Order: sequence, then C-alpha cells, then structure tokens
Amino acid sequence: MRLQLIQHRLAPWIVVGIALAAVGVRAEGGEVDVGATLFHEGGGPLNMTVITPSVRGRVDPVDELTIRLGWDADIVTGASVAVVDAPGARPDAITTATQLEDLRNVFSGGMELRSDYGSLRAGYSYGFEHDYTSHALTLGARAELFERNTTFDLSFAHAWDSVCDVAQPRMQDPVERRRLPSSTGCFSSSNTDLASREVALNSFQGSWTQAWAPIFVTQLTLSAQLVDGFQSNPYRAVWLGRSSAQEHHPDHRFRYAASLAGRLWIAPISGALHAMGRAYRDNWGVQSLSAELALEEVIDGALRIRARGRYYAQSGAAFYSDDYALSPRGQYFTGDRELSTMSSVLVGGQISYTFSAGVDGPVAGFMSSLALLLKADWLHSEFPQFHYGSAAVPNRDAVIVTLSLEAEI
Amino acid sequence: MLATVTLLAGVALPACVTVRPEQREVLADPAMIFGSGGDAEAHEEHVLSNREGSVGGGASTGGGCGCN
Repeated sequence: MRLQLIQHRLAPWIVVGIALAAVGVRAEGGEVDVGATLFHEGGGPLNMTVITPSVRGRVDPVDELTIRLGWDADIVTGASVAVVDAPGARPDAITTATQLEDLRNVFSGGMELRSDYGSLRAGYSYGFEHDYTSHALTLGARAELFERNTTFDLSFAHAWDSVCDVAQPRMQDPVERRRLPSSTGCFSSSNTDLASREVALNSFQGSWTQAWAPIFVTQLTLSAQLVDGFQSNPYRAVWLGRSSAQEHHPDHRFRYAASLAGRLWIAPISGALHAMGRAYRDNWGVQSLSAELALEEVIDGALRIRARGRYYAQSGAAFYSDDYALSPRGQYFTGDRELSTMSSVLVGGQISYTFSAGVDGPVAGFMSSLALLLKADWLHSEFPQFHYGSAAVPNRDAVIVTLSLEAEI
Repeated sequence: MLATVTLLAGVALPACVTVRPEQREVLADPAMIFGSGGDAEAHEEHVLSNREGSVGGGASTGGGCGCN
C-alpha cells in the first residue's frame, strides 16, 4: 500500500523527467547538480542529525527558455524534548528527551523565459513527510537596465501547508490541549483521533542589484512574509504549573526583513570580499540583526577557496517565558528555544575545483565543465534565557558539511 | 518635496552610470555574483531558517522543518 502510494506520487515526476530528458537530447545546454549536506547538532542527551541529499537538473531547449526539475530530502534522526520544563526527580535533568525519525521529500519544477532585458519565471514544489505536506507556487520577474548594470527582481510565493495534529475539541481551552504523541496515522481519513491543521504562507521579495564600478557591486533586498494558520510544534508541550499543554502560538505572523550586501574585487589577491548585513522584525516581537563577512580567492581560475564568518543575534518573542508556571506571558506559551533571546556565531570554509573543456575537448567526453565543492561550517548558539528546568541548553554546537558535484553539458 | 526629489535623484543618477561591457570581466566572475552559491547556499539557508527565529533576505516558502 505504501509502495503504491509512493508510485502514485512519483508517477507524474517520472513522466516529466523522461520528457525533459527527451527534450535535453536536442537542447542548447543543460546542467545536473548532485549534492548532499550533513547537519549534526549535539550535546548532552539531545542531538539532531539531518542528511539532505539533492538532485537538480536544468535544460535549455532554446536560448530563451530554461526548464528545471529538482528533488531534495531531509533524513532526520535525533532526540528532542517533548515536554519543556516538566518536573522530574532531578530538577536540572532533561527528563523527557524522546527519539524521533522523519523523512521529508520535496519535488520541484519550474521554467524561466529570458530576453535581453530580463526574465519571467514560475515554479512549483511539493513537499511531504509523515506529518507535514506543502504545495508552493513561486512567480518572479527580473528587469535588467543600463547595460545590465542595474537589476530589479520581484518574486512572490504562496504555500498551502498542512500539519498533522491531535483532533482537539473546537471549544477546548488551549491550556487543556494535548500534544501529538507520534506521526502514526497522520493524514489518514480513517483515523478520527487526528486532524489536519492548515497553514498559508505568502512571501514577497524585491531586490535591487547595482554595479557601481568594474570591481564593486551591491544588492539591497526587502522581503515580507505573512503566515496564517497553525504554527506550533504539535509534538511539543510546555509545563504550565499543574499540568502540561501543547504549545500555543498565535495564528498570524507578519515577518519582514531588509538586507544590504556588497562584493568588492581585490586584484592583488585575485579574489572578492563579501559583506552583508540584515535586519529583521515580526509582529511576535522578535527582532534580529546579522552580519556576515567572507573572502573568496580564485587560483588559476579553477581552484576557489572561501573563508566566512557570520554573527547573529535576536530578541525573544513577546510571549516567551522561561517558566510559564511562575511567569506566564498572556494567552500564548511556547517551548521553542528559537523564540527566546539567542545569538549564534558561524565560521566556515569552502573549496571548489572546476574542470573545464579545453583544447582536448569536453570533460569526460561530454561535459563543458565539472565542478566539485566541499563546504564545512561550525555553528555555535547561545540561549541565555532558555532552560530545561534549571539546565542550560546542552546542544549548542553544530556542524554543517556539504559535498556537491555540478556538471554542465 | 525637494528632499524627495533629491533623494530619488541621488538613487537614480548613479544607477545610470554604466560599467561598459568590456569592463565587466570581473563582475562576471562567480565570486562577484549574488546567489551563485548554488545548492550548498540553499541548504545552509534551510538549516539556519530552522535554527533561528527569523527568515528573510532570501527565499523561503515553507515545506516543513524536520524540527519535531
């Protein structure tokens, strides 16, 4: 039954893939990217490992048209806290760490029409896991002005998401709601104990990219997102004093951000300096600032080395409390550490090498280029106002490693 | 009104100052192109958006978070 369901879901994509491959035989060009990212966060009894493999393909049937297909997955294993601040035999112990596993697949497709003055693009993606489904539609337009020294880009995305939850009685008080114990039976019409909760996301983004000099370019980006629907983690409960209840977040969230980035070419090192600053706030009271600096050096045109650092700091949500039993903050309550005051530091490096077609002909007989990339980052986070009982967050360090291969045909 | 016109002129006029096509060799290098990080950049943005309380300045359209 499960296999039939998977075949049913994959069938349209297989047909599209074959059609795309057939078009690709006579295409002007194309590209295939294969990669995988490993994220591991650990410390104490809590840990999280996410492996994200991906395959993306691009075909240009004619110069003015690009067709894209892609697949990503998140393979998740770990241990997280189910009931935040639940009392235990030892007050500083994380008493309710539970094992979790999940698999998320995302299939995406899109097309882009180009001219000398800009482009139009449209895309669709479908993501599904045991307890979450998402349909997303993206539209975008780009205009290139003043001999391509000025580029304006606008995009809009709408997503229709569904989250599995316990079938909570409609008139039940939030402090009496139960958490979802597992994803077993989710999205099954025969299981009346579970329900599907909807989330709608509308995302808008505009950017202005400007070449100011032959060695200097900037990009200003403004973005906004309106999220409407169930935004709590259905598995997580919060201790409220006499009992625990599923965390309760507001149904509406309006988020907006602005970023300014610049890239400066430094001829003596044959490389580029990257700088970026971003400010964010939302109507839940979260405000954040991030700053990023990177240096990329190009050696003989084929070998690239990049070093990077990033700092991030945010305030907590207006309804966040480290202890709702002693200090409730209105009608909402959360056990999400990412809604508390936090900061993080990321440092990392990247190395890539590109084999290009030369006088001997294409790479391996059929590729115009083949690029190999290895990227590794270390991420350290601090949560000064978040505790499990009286214990600080133990899993504050993470590594992110990506290995990818890009073949242009 | 004058301040608005001055501000718009200040933004628009430099935008008209072009870098000529024959001067664009450096600007065409991937190191100078925003968003040229490909899958590695997209994967990292996905990770960070699920490990921080904010998003934006990049594309993110939901799709679950593997955060349970």
